Amino acid sequence: MTRNEFIKRLKAGLKGMPAEDVAEIVGDYEAHFDAGAADGRSESEVAEALGNPGRLARELRLEAGIRNWEAGRTPSSAWAAVLAFMGLATIDILILAPIVLPIIGVIVALYVAVIAVFIAGGFVMVVGPFSAMPGGAIAALLAGLGIMAGSVAAGALLTIVSIWVINALMWFGRLHYRVIEPAIKSDDFA
Amino acid sequence: MSEIEIQLKKGVLGLCVLALLSRGDSYAYEIASRMAHAVDMGEGTIYPLMRRMQSEGLVGTYLEESPSGPPRKYYKITDTGRGRLAEQVAEWRTFTAAVEGLITPAAEAAPEGQAEASHDA
Repeated sequence: MTRNEFIKRLKAGLKGMPAEDVAEIVGDYEAHFDAGAADGRSESEVAEALGNPGRLARELRLEAGIRNWEAGRTPSSAWAAVLAFMGLATIDILILAPIVLPIIGVIVALYVAVIAVFIAGGFVMVVGPFSAMPGGAIAALLAGLGIMAGSVAAGALLTIVSIWVINALMWFGRLHYRVIEPAIKSDDFA
Repeated sequence: MSEIEIQLKKGVLGLCVLALLSRGDSYAYEIASRMAHAVDMGEGTIYPLMRRMQSEGLVGTYLEESPSGPPRKYYKITDTGRGRLAEQVAEWRTFTAAVEGLITPAAEAAPEGQAEASHDA
């Protein structure tokens, strides 16, 4: 493989990451080729010693996803981390898919339900006092508030559970690289 | 390469990098080529590993002019990194001593104190 081809495949694998991260990573590998050339090694020798660019890109992308997730636990960083994890798309992770996808589906559905209950609580609180609810206006107000508070509590719990699930996925992703797909085998050069 | 060999080597990559850096700052190409000879890893792996260690605060980077071409990115071990290195070295010593004790045939097995002394030699 030539230097250009290696860099091209690496870039293709990093697509979707922030431009400055891609530039930094590509810069690292370009510098590696420069140093190799200064060392008297040919492009193809250096490329072979580096290993499979697609695999390296997947590992770098997962690391970046974990870093963003650890820096800020936001819904978008969570989503990016999950995508990077699924992007590994290797056998052991595909085997996990039937377990992981329903869990993610259930969590998303629960979020939708929590939001719906919150809105319903607001509805009871606003409309209840004017529509002759049993117990009178005060009871309707309190019931509405209670439903809304309950849904906020459920949402908080749900957030804790989803953070835990994503942490578990990231842990598995790293384990995947340490044990199941070790980088030492440089023979996966297809 | 056998499965056990791969797993052992992959597990100690981070430890080896920290040990190298504790003896002096270095750049990725140099680290990779020394590691590649010693533990037979793909050189490309050094970059995901360095990025991870950087985000964990174990190493820092700075740029330095190189005799040939553009400035080089040097890696430097941090205090956190030194702490981690000490922990991992201790774990490694305990682990290898235990394995050594188990795989040495009983007849030749020396008492524990002596076995450890011979490792240090």
